[in-house]
Amino acid sequence: MEHTEHHSHDEHNTLTKRKIWQTFFILLVITILDFVVYFAMNKEHLIPVRNVIFLAFGIIKSYFIVGIFMHMSYEVKRLAMTIIIPMVFVLGLIAALLYEGGTQSVIKWAIGG
Amino acid sequence: MSESTGLINPNSAWTGGKSPFNVSYGKLMMWVFLLSDAFTFSSLLVAYGGNRFLSSGSPIPWPKPDEVFNHFPFIHAHLPLVFVSLMTFILIFSSVTMVLAVEAGHRRSRKEVSLYMFLTILGGIAFLGCQAWEWTQFITGTEHGKDWGSGLIHGASLFKNEYGPAAFADLFFIVTGFHGFHVLSGVVLNIVIYSNVNSGVYDRRGHYEMVEKVGLYWHFVDLVWVFVFTFFYLV
Repeated sequence: MEHTEHHSHDEHNTLTKRKIWQTFFILLVITILDFVVYFAMNKEHLIPVRNVIFLAFGIIKSYFIVGIFMHMSYEVKRLAMTIIIPMVFVLGLIAALLYEGGTQSVIKWAIGG
Repeated sequence: MSESTGLINPNSAWTGGKSPFNVSYGKLMMWVFLLSDAFTFSSLLVAYGGNRFLSSGSPIPWPKPDEVFNHFPFIHAHLPLVFVSLMTFILIFSSVTMVLAVEAGHRRSRKEVSLYMFLTILGGIAFLGCQAWEWTQFITGTEHGKDWGSGLIHGASLFKNEYGPAAFADLFFIVTGFHGFHVLSGVVLNIVIYSNVNSGVYDRRGHYEMVEKVGLYWHFVDLVWVFVFTFFYLV
């Protein structure tokens, strides 16, 4: 086959139609689970647990979108690390700013600054 | 010089003549661009989280998503989350057709690439239509409105809204608006690539890598929506 000249041969073997539909099915099921969990755990004291579940679902979904659809799990490891490691630092930013928001709310509303 | 060259294995990926990342320059730069775009979206979502935490204890509480987003076109019922789940489904499905176009591009099947690109464009347009409807609902608001102490408010503007603090509507407009703008750019890029596919540009070039590059962008837009959906509609 002529087309094998332009792309490495292993690339053809990794991303198959079967794999694509499988990934779609997983994403669909997680989205439906999002919907179900929202109403199944719609009680005030369950909301923190529910939020953790939603975040976990979001991370699982992004693993499948980036890994399979964006082909990242088939790329060389150093490319994957170059892109993924900087995003880990963003998690630190999120933690810091949420904490800051909580502290500011105490200053603003409870102390009355 | 001679000592340093001794350290470099001539078979290493870093001695030149090949891509250390085993991808083309264009694809690597698309990844770098997407990383920078991910930073932008992260900062917007972090601003959302920070403002939400800041509003705890405020006399105007941050709204619960099912009290705001509970409409569905043509159905007058309380249906929280249904419409936005449909939007999520549309975007995931258009991601699937995009990756099918990439897969067909590997086989250099012009007809299939063309069909799947077309479906992807349709998905993008459908999503934008849904978002326009969602914004209209959000801006128009409910009939009864809400009074926070300075007069009755219907719907939302950048300065005040009936749902909660002003920052809630501001962040809704900025984050979903910025994401919608990405979808719109994606649709335009997809239309360009679609017409190139149909006029045989990539057959003459000998490969369909441009389809892969816009595919990366399109999946990224889907990925961002996963988190916008999580933070605005679920958490």
